[in-house]
Amino acid sequence: MLSRVADAVFWTARYMERTDNILRMLRTNYIASQDEILEFDWRPWVKQYGPPDDKSQIEIVSYRDVINYLILSRQHDASVFSFIVRARENARSVQDFITKELWQCLNDYYHLIRSPHTEQLLLNDDPLTAMDSLLRESTIYYGTVDTTMGRGEGYTFINLGKFVERSLQSLDLLSMKLETLPKGASEASHWKYLLYSLSGYEFHGKYYKNSLHTHDVIHQLLFNPQFPHSVLYSLIQTERYFKRLGPISLPDHFKEIEFAVGKAVNDLKYSLVDCKDVDNLQELFKTSRQQVLTIGQKLATLYFGYS
Amino acid sequence: MNLSNFLEDYNSNPTVWDEMCLKGDIRQHYQLFFDYFQRSSGEEIEKKDELAKKLFMSQGITFTVYSSGEGIEKIFPFDLIPRIITGSEWEHIEAGIKQRLKALNIFLRDVYHDQFIIKDGIVPAALINSCPNFLREMVGVEVPFGIYTHIAGIDLIRDSDGSFYVLEDNLRTPSGVSYMLENRNMTYRLFPGLMPKNGVRSVKDYPDLLLKNLLSLANSQKSEPTVVLLTPGIFNSAYFEHTTLARLMGIELVEGRDLVVDNAKVFMKTTAGLKQVDVIYRRVDDEFLDPLVFNSESILGVSGLYHAYRKGNVAIVNAMGNGVADDKAIYTFVPQMIKYYLNEEPILKTVPTYSMDDPEHFNHVFKDVDKMVIKQTNGSGGYGMLMGHSATETQVVEYKSEVIKNPRQFIAQPIISLSSVPCYINGKIQPRRVDLRPFALYGPQGIEIVPGGLTRVALREGSLVVNSSQGGGSKDTWVLM
Repeated sequence: MLSRVADAVFWTARYMERTDNILRMLRTNYIASQDEILEFDWRPWVKQYGPPDDKSQIEIVSYRDVINYLILSRQHDASVFSFIVRARENARSVQDFITKELWQCLNDYYHLIRSPHTEQLLLNDDPLTAMDSLLRESTIYYGTVDTTMGRGEGYTFINLGKFVERSLQSLDLLSMKLETLPKGASEASHWKYLLYSLSGYEFHGKYYKNSLHTHDVIHQLLFNPQFPHSVLYSLIQTERYFKRLGPISLPDHFKEIEFAVGKAVNDLKYSLVDCKDVDNLQELFKTSRQQVLTIGQKLATLYFGYS
Repeated sequence: MNLSNFLEDYNSNPTVWDEMCLKGDIRQHYQLFFDYFQRSSGEEIEKKDELAKKLFMSQGITFTVYSSGEGIEKIFPFDLIPRIITGSEWEHIEAGIKQRLKALNIFLRDVYHDQFIIKDGIVPAALINSCPNFLREMVGVEVPFGIYTHIAGIDLIRDSDGSFYVLEDNLRTPSGVSYMLENRNMTYRLFPGLMPKNGVRSVKDYPDLLLKNLLSLANSQKSEPTVVLLTPGIFNSAYFEHTTLARLMGIELVEGRDLVVDNAKVFMKTTAGLKQVDVIYRRVDDEFLDPLVFNSESILGVSGLYHAYRKGNVAIVNAMGNGVADDKAIYTFVPQMIKYYLNEEPILKTVPTYSMDDPEHFNHVFKDVDKMVIKQTNGSGGYGMLMGHSATETQVVEYKSEVIKNPRQFIAQPIISLSSVPCYINGKIQPRRVDLRPFALYGPQGIEIVPGGLTRVALREGSLVVNSSQGGGSKDTWVLM
């Protein structure tokens, strides 16, 4: 397939994955913030999901400001609005390649985030209703990719984008949580909310058969091979999809990335770091993150390099 | 609101050919549709109108207007009442277009090779040489099967007596065919069951016919030729059409930056390295196709493409240099071409055309300017023309001074009234003026025209300008059995 098209579908998938992650986090945090006696601290979240180079940190007076900034803002590139616009622009440039259903689904998503009704709900009425309908579009997107796209190269690049992005999101989230969590009584409830956002709370109970321990949550998010948001799961999927490119690739290009992906998977899988050892964990996050970024860069030069 | 008596409010102009009404009666081929409408309530029709808008929006059949960095989606205005053409009218149109296209294609081959038509004094050499779209680079170039005009969109209008006139021959990169297809998809959702009942002929074969022709242009030694559609990119107003056609034909949609020429062969950049391209259906104008030969600032084209084309290593559709045949000053000579090349009488009429570099014509036109339309010979989109009957005196004076500067670039024609059809506007059925653009495909096996086309409608009351850039819309076109 055309390099430009591969690039566009890869990034469509990345933007959609980011959108899904942010919305899930915001949704649960919003519920948490309504349920809390003390003022909920939104700053780490704004720092985490806001634009990295935005020095003019917004003034947060209420949760509405956060919602406006992270979901609706047209002023910076890291809002849900910008992601959806980008995902759709990418999809538009490859409209002939993706299925009509997929295009219409992204187009509907775009019209939903732009609708005055959504804005009204988010800023003045019940934000949960708006976030739920946005997340429903996101779920429709995953389903549409799955049921309509042919299992060729395009599908492979969409999945590569999805899992590369997901592993980065999970790594960053864990790292941020470990840095900013208040120690003490409320710790468990914070981890609980995090698991809620990733639909991992029930899974936790079934898998770990224990009351909630921080190190178990870290294990779930980092190493659990059955949890779809764990870093290891995402990397294993990245490897699985990448291998499908073998028969159609230039051998040298394929080998180079196959090595990078394999190393990232195995370095994590056979890591000796203890989930209770917070300092060494941060080191592991950093290495893993760098490895995933390298995979992205290598894909950009060896498979998407068309200019 | 009740539509049962809408005919009373339907004030068609008696000096204009109305497609539905004849002296207050309904023409037979509109009868079934008319009955359907009479049985419908105003609310039902209003709902259908809203549904159409919603469908266009959700399917992304839109064009984007960029303002303050954020795109705004607009839909092309669509009128839900189809324009209906009878089987015998279509037979006439079809025969006329085939004849015309055959002659124009021979003309292109002639003008870029032996130039018999000039030597025999039919078309003046000066006219050809002064035409900015005559490409000297194409002289002596052999094109596959001698076909230049693979895809043509011939614009037809109807005068007050109902006879069809050719208004323009679009032989370069005519657009609008995706609207022919999408408007049809819309109609069967709006009026379930109505099309089979009326015996409407299908247009859905268009992409298959086009693909068949494109494939047949590839080098016959190749078992699986690669065909691509070259688009200027997502900012082009016809981008939606490019993606639709690429998808319907299952071919790659490429931009200039996806292609590269090596050793006079064209390749596209894929995830598995370079892959050779055999046929390019281009929607990029001649001028921008190859920065080495034409406009050196173009980033829409591919360096070296012209050379690959000359060598016969890639087929380009439509051929380069077609602009010389659809120039509005050459238009006058098409009836002579038909007689000269085919020894036949023209089937379709041509609008009398005055070339402004003839002083006699010039004076005649400006004496009767209120009955005239003056156009640029290579203009399009309804821009840069003067409609005499609605222009102010200052506009006429200003336009006249432009014409004097470069008279060869202007022609004038008497204003043809254009036929009217019923349209649903602001909750009422009102007559509006239309033209018709059928799309003809010229392949090695001959010329094929799908029964239908794009009906463009001037939505402003009294307006004769149908271009979408000038407040025009479109509607579905039914050709009956």
